[in-house]
Amino acid sequence: MRSPAHRGVRPIAATATASAVLALAGVPALASTASAVDEGGKHILKVAYSSTIDTFNPFVSIYLTPTGINRMVYENLVQYSAKDGSPIPGLAESWDTSKDGKTWTFHIRPGMKWSDGQPITSADPQWTYTQMMTNEAMSQANGSLVTNFAKVSAPDPDTLVITMKEGTAVNPGIEIPVVPKHVWSKLKNPAKFDNSKDVVGSGPYVLESYKPSQQVVLKPNPNFWRGKPKMDGVTYVNFKNGDAAVQGLKAGTIDLIGGLEVPQFDALKDAKGVTVNSGSGRRFTGLGLNPGATTKDGTPMGDGNPVLKDPVVRRAIRQAINIPALMDKMLQGHGTLATSFVPAVFPQWHWHPDKSKLATYEPDAANAALDQAGYKKGPDGIRLGKDGKPIVLRLLGDNSDSTDKQMADYIMPWLKKIGIKVDLQMSDGDAISVDLQKANYDMYFTGWSLGSDPDFQLGINTCSALPVKPNGEGGTSMDFWCDKKFDKLYEEQHAELDQGKREQIVQKMLAMHYNAAPSIDFWYGDSLEAYRSDHVAGMIKMPKKGGMLTGQSGYWAVWGAHPANAQDVKKAESASNPTGSAGNDDGGGMGGGAWAGIIAAAVVVLGGGGFLASKKKKPADDRE
Amino acid sequence: MSNTLIDSDAVDAVEPLEGDRDARVGSSFGQFAARKVGGAVVSMVMVVLLGFFAFRILPGDPVRTMTRGRVMSAEQLAAMKHQLGLDKSVLQQFWIYLKDLPQGKLGTSYVYKRPVSDLIMDHLGPTLLLTSIAAFVAIVLGLWVGQKAAWARGSWFDRTHTATALILWSVPTFWLGLILLLVFAGWLQILPPGGYDSGDGSTGLAHVLDVAQHLVLPVITMVAVTYAQYLLVMRASLIEEMDAPYLVTARAKGLREDLVRRRHAVPNALLPTVTLVFLHLGGLIAGAVTTETVFSWPGLGWLTYSALDGPDLPLLQGTFVVFSAIVILMNLIADLIYRFLDPRVRAL
Repeated sequence: MRSPAHRGVRPIAATATASAVLALAGVPALASTASAVDEGGKHILKVAYSSTIDTFNPFVSIYLTPTGINRMVYENLVQYSAKDGSPIPGLAESWDTSKDGKTWTFHIRPGMKWSDGQPITSADPQWTYTQMMTNEAMSQANGSLVTNFAKVSAPDPDTLVITMKEGTAVNPGIEIPVVPKHVWSKLKNPAKFDNSKDVVGSGPYVLESYKPSQQVVLKPNPNFWRGKPKMDGVTYVNFKNGDAAVQGLKAGTIDLIGGLEVPQFDALKDAKGVTVNSGSGRRFTGLGLNPGATTKDGTPMGDGNPVLKDPVVRRAIRQAINIPALMDKMLQGHGTLATSFVPAVFPQWHWHPDKSKLATYEPDAANAALDQAGYKKGPDGIRLGKDGKPIVLRLLGDNSDSTDKQMADYIMPWLKKIGIKVDLQMSDGDAISVDLQKANYDMYFTGWSLGSDPDFQLGINTCSALPVKPNGEGGTSMDFWCDKKFDKLYEEQHAELDQGKREQIVQKMLAMHYNAAPSIDFWYGDSLEAYRSDHVAGMIKMPKKGGMLTGQSGYWAVWGAHPANAQDVKKAESASNPTGSAGNDDGGGMGGGAWAGIIAAAVVVLGGGGFLASKKKKPADDRE
Repeated sequence: MSNTLIDSDAVDAVEPLEGDRDARVGSSFGQFAARKVGGAVVSMVMVVLLGFFAFRILPGDPVRTMTRGRVMSAEQLAAMKHQLGLDKSVLQQFWIYLKDLPQGKLGTSYVYKRPVSDLIMDHLGPTLLLTSIAAFVAIVLGLWVGQKAAWARGSWFDRTHTATALILWSVPTFWLGLILLLVFAGWLQILPPGGYDSGDGSTGLAHVLDVAQHLVLPVITMVAVTYAQYLLVMRASLIEEMDAPYLVTARAKGLREDLVRRRHAVPNALLPTVTLVFLHLGGLIAGAVTTETVFSWPGLGWLTYSALDGPDLPLLQGTFVVFSAIVILMNLIADLIYRFLDPRVRAL
């Protein structure tokens, strides 16, 4: 009963479909390797982004991508240096501090202009800061940076004076984007302004347009005080999927991509025209412990295991974990071992003690310390707490982070060796954040990205960051740790204007934190990124030596970018491929793994098809 | 997501209607329609109520999650809580939600600080474009191959096509999408790796072609994982018809085999398929979440996925209500249209 017609129709339909697809694929100006940089003769730097864009209003925006883009658009009063993140001139060409650290006088560089040609004066930062101090809605993003401001005045167009409530060594002009008063003061409700079109700025690039969930277009600011940038524009392209962005980089539709995973990074190493960068990151990863949480007034809160109140136990846990081996497994060489929560990219603050002062993997020593402290082993090898109960510590892991479970799988047997049983509880990030807020945990995987001044991070380790209420409200404490001596040092460093002395105090504090071990800091993971070195050159890393290109706290990478010339390409090729042998013959860059995947898929499809086909030999079965 | 619907829906599509037919013989179309519309309204009310509480009973503090890792003081956190209305009790929040609902307001997004209904309208277009094209191709392809396969059941054509469709249907959407990306965008470099357009500011025909290029891979992905359900239903219902006496009559009249199939068998076999098509259309739009995420297609699925990051509860709740409304509407249309198309279901 076969239809005689089907033989003829099928090839026609198939051909028609195939030609439609090919016709679309063949339309010019798309995905060609000729590069997005040369679009319409313009050199555009295309950056992939995946995180949320809430708004471009710098007073309200709290997400990473818009905050990063606003770093291009608005020059701060004081900028972070590319070298090590220390304060360098921005809108202010210099500044003086009174001896008590209470009066900061900034001298605005004369002759600067906003991107619309209006002059930049001290009235602009004065208006910006005052808004944040007086209007709650305008303090959402950076309000904590002005809580110590008593008064901001602009005695003349080139001078800005900030009077602090308490003396401080932390430069108050850093981090806060300064907006043009002549634009913002005319708005009825500046906190509701979305600031996403024809933005007037003072940084190297200004925001020209934004298509939600698609792209952000920046154009060069000819009035930027360091000079007009060399690219014809920067476009941030949205990719919800990292693998797709990697394909975009290979195809040349993307020029710069950050946040790569190790396999993606490795796969891009040999791709033609691509240079990878494993830049030292400013994030630490570690294990947070519950050292006996209390509220500010000392009321116990949460349900942490009391055994963790003992620093001997906390230190023993550190000695029982083979951190170098764990880092090797997790990061495969893309990281630096941690000494404290201050990453090595900030060498002036990073704790660099004598190696003998740092614990190493010594389960025997840990066992001895626990024996000595009176934690006897029970019949099953699990130690007993002071209450006579076996020591079982809950470890909270986040399901959405694939590394948590892997790390736990290594840590659990290590802790068992010292007689501590771990009860791994995997759940989602939201549930964990509630448990952490209420101190309902024993251990969890922690991590923070740090700014170039450690003041905030030190501050959330003081007693004053503890919650007001036992449900965790009113608190920002990192690990519920509280030590009055640490608090005293915190106050000292906060007011110490002599940089050298302040660094010494911070070193003391970090040593104290290390010894108390409310958290065990593992490593500082590298930021894995890649860029089209045949399209773009000159991007400045932060820190300059071994630093990263994406996720900087300044505008350096994008500001330094210029179209790659033949010399740049040659240089990049020899740098990424010193032997000159590999990397040029992969014809488009599909790795062996990818081929294996496709072949496996084909085998599954064909094999499965054959299997099903053979099962369907009896048409009568279909009738039931 | 839509894949999971096939078994239950294929059955439901027919059975409740047959039940109705037995129980309600003699009722007018008006009564029937009123009953169905009433049922849909009740479902919608339930969705609106559940939508609010379902997302509120999840543990978590949106403010803490959104500001995680950021320099924030306790005062800032409290102020933000107040701005988002999270310092009010759940019942108070629910009351505000109910009050706004009749005006078409679905609340304000925590993350984007814009009305949820505006955000949904912004992202509806791309989703409708993608899903309507994918649905059209999948239906035409599925039905066409399905009837050919049934007519030649047991043949090489039948076995290969049915097996291929089943395998594609069981393949995870994201996996297929990634493989297509790898081959066409990364390796062959003839199609873009994602997005709605290349953002070069083109207009007119050039822009249409640009969007069309960006549609190719997501459409292929969606079609590949969904067309099997149309194929199978079409194939099964045509096989049902194949031994019917009226076909013998048709052949006896001397009609060509091809015409017997096209003019007599297929129209009858199409009946159960029509209902299925509408039932699946609703699921297809909700099923776009994965495809849109893999291909960074800026539609409702993308928006839902982004809302999970927040967690942007009003936005999640808004997309949940919209997706549910579409499914309920499509079910209603399926119910009504079936009665209209099949005289046997109508009142005697």
